[in-house]
Amino acid sequence: MTKRIFRSICLVALTVFLASVVLFMGVLYEYFSNVEQTQLKMQTTLAAQGVTNEGIDYFHDLKVKNYRISWIDTEGNVIFDSASDTAEMENHLEREEVREALSSGYGESKRYSATLMERSFYSAQKLDDGTVLRLSISQNSILTLLLGMTQPICIIFVIALILSIVLAIQVSKKIVKPLNEIDLDNPLSNEGYDELSPFLRRIDSQQRQLRGQKAELLQKENELNTIIGSMNEGMILLNQKGKIISINPAARKLLDAGTDCIGSDMLSLCRNLELQEILTKALHGERGENIIRLHGESYQIDADPITSENIVKGAALFFFNVTEKEKAEQIRREFTANVSHELKTPLHSISGYAELLKNDMVKENDKIPFAGKIYDEAGRMIRLVEDIISLSHLDEGADDMQRENIDLYTLAEKAVQSLEPQADTVCVALELSGVPAPLNGIPQLLYSVIYNLCDNAIKYNHENGKVMVNIQNENGMVVLSVEDTGIGIAPEHQERIFERFYRVDKSHSKAVGGTGLGLSIVKHAAKIHNAKVDVKSHVGKGTTVIVTFPK
Amino acid sequence: MRLKFDEQLDLLNKELITMGAFCENAIAMSAKALTEGNPALAKAVPDLSVQIDHKEREIETMCLKLLLQQQPVAKDLRVVSSALKMVTDMARIGDQSADIAEIITLANIHATDDTQVIHDMSVAVIKMVTDSIDAFVKKDMQMAKAVIDYDDVVDSFFDKVKKMLIELFSKPETDGEYAIDLLMIAKYFERIGDHAVNIAKWVLFSITGNKEG
Repeated sequence: MTKRIFRSICLVALTVFLASVVLFMGVLYEYFSNVEQTQLKMQTTLAAQGVTNEGIDYFHDLKVKNYRISWIDTEGNVIFDSASDTAEMENHLEREEVREALSSGYGESKRYSATLMERSFYSAQKLDDGTVLRLSISQNSILTLLLGMTQPICIIFVIALILSIVLAIQVSKKIVKPLNEIDLDNPLSNEGYDELSPFLRRIDSQQRQLRGQKAELLQKENELNTIIGSMNEGMILLNQKGKIISINPAARKLLDAGTDCIGSDMLSLCRNLELQEILTKALHGERGENIIRLHGESYQIDADPITSENIVKGAALFFFNVTEKEKAEQIRREFTANVSHELKTPLHSISGYAELLKNDMVKENDKIPFAGKIYDEAGRMIRLVEDIISLSHLDEGADDMQRENIDLYTLAEKAVQSLEPQADTVCVALELSGVPAPLNGIPQLLYSVIYNLCDNAIKYNHENGKVMVNIQNENGMVVLSVEDTGIGIAPEHQERIFERFYRVDKSHSKAVGGTGLGLSIVKHAAKIHNAKVDVKSHVGKGTTVIVTFPK
Repeated sequence: MRLKFDEQLDLLNKELITMGAFCENAIAMSAKALTEGNPALAKAVPDLSVQIDHKEREIETMCLKLLLQQQPVAKDLRVVSSALKMVTDMARIGDQSADIAEIITLANIHATDDTQVIHDMSVAVIKMVTDSIDAFVKKDMQMAKAVIDYDDVVDSFFDKVKKMLIELFSKPETDGEYAIDLLMIAKYFERIGDHAVNIAKWVLFSITGNKEG
């Protein structure tokens, strides 16, 4: 900017300067030349008169300063010359001014010297005797004048240059200042050139648009981050070289990684070769999944390739904790195995006894006990199947069962009554105490809760033991407690007794009978009533099971 | 130029970690076969050992290529040269795991109280191997030093095994071959621990240029 302004200023200044120089020189030079020529003519006339009057003597006392006087005779020979020796001078007849004077009485001419440095004016007058008197004056030529003025011209030139630089800097500063001071963050607040306002308005609108888009993007990113961050499943995104681009907190926790793991290789986080294998597969565009063990838990890992236009751009790894699922599956498998086993045992005895009877290999008086045994085993099977049916029913949520307003105490009375004979046979005292406790619930299930708990309390008891059933209303809850003085449950078994077919002591269980499903039914029934089951037990002293029902 | 070099170094790093993972697997499998007394588990170890040897050749070639083509200096040179040394130790870990597996498959060793000490020893050795590779992955000097110190624990386990075996020999009913097999296994574990120490030392060297840290 400064350079361009400087150039223009400089050019203008120099042009004006040169033009004035040329103009003034031309005009003044012409003027002075004319004045000089007129003077020369006058002098010539005066000198001609002098020579006419005095002849050659006129020259003797003539004091010539500026002029050169020559006297030329009719033949063209120089008779007198104030500047040089007459003898050496050539014939002047051919000179323009002489010729003119000879023919018309007066003549003049101007000539440049050989070097063009000087210009001479000649003026000649014919005297009465036919001779010619010539006066000449030398003048510096315009070139000489110019050369003489070189120094001042140069000085002026330099001054013009400096001035133009200073001016150019100042002007450009002045022009550029408002442009430099434009606040592009707030384009509309600027006062500068009106010419810029369309640009500023455009910039303003674009900035607003950008801000809007940025806010939108940020919001979306936040939403995504919140979702990914609060996910329980681990998620890792990798680029096509297997470097981590993004990892969520769950995955970071799982793989024990710091925040600086972004950009590092997946191998440096987890050296599991199976994981590596499916990851490599995913990076080659093939989906893979596997279950691997990390920190003692099972994780299902899905590796999905991320493709764009059929080119793999990276991979996404998902970690799902399937420990619970695997456990559940294992329990289900065990359950199936247990059920088939439990069903098979009575069937074997039934079929054994039946075979003996069929082949008539039983003595007559043994037939009744054999039939009794078949009946007992069949009864056991029926109970087992019934328990399984009610359990699977409970598994489904027991939706079809009707809730009724009932009194838990009345239900307990019924259960105790039906168990009394059983208690009597093993010499266990069964006592019921407490107050009426109205409750909204499913009568069959509540009955089976009390029945099963009491049944267990009687079965796993010592001779002459006691079973105390108590029902109380406490803080708006109905509390059922079944306390016995039995054999108790060791702490390591307490958690597992609610599992299906779980027996603390398998050999003892055979003797006391039962299906191994009673407490499972209690647990499920309690769950359906939102009740809490607590077990307090000491080995050898007895067990207390407390079921707390919310009203 | 540097970009390509970085890529090659990165690949080298990745291959070393993979090889480390192979070693961890090999020793873990041998140890599991021993503790569970299940020789079938040990059958896969020799294959793994072959894979490890294969990896060793690969990494060696890679290192030599790097040395020739890139002529690394300073830290890069340390990394490449320590990698060259580390693979040897890793390959030995693989071989010795395979040796343990072989003894288990041939000698039919049962999980008894006698093997409990060796089991504890194997846990300690696995920890050493894992930590030494972790130290390499994380370039963690503290961890590498911890591995070097942990060798004392493994050595004391070896002493315990020796004492136990001496007692065992003094009983007349002892099966001599069984006891010697146990001793061999313990010795192999002890050697694996030493190799883990070597790896840790090379990790220290690649970080500081000094094998002792």
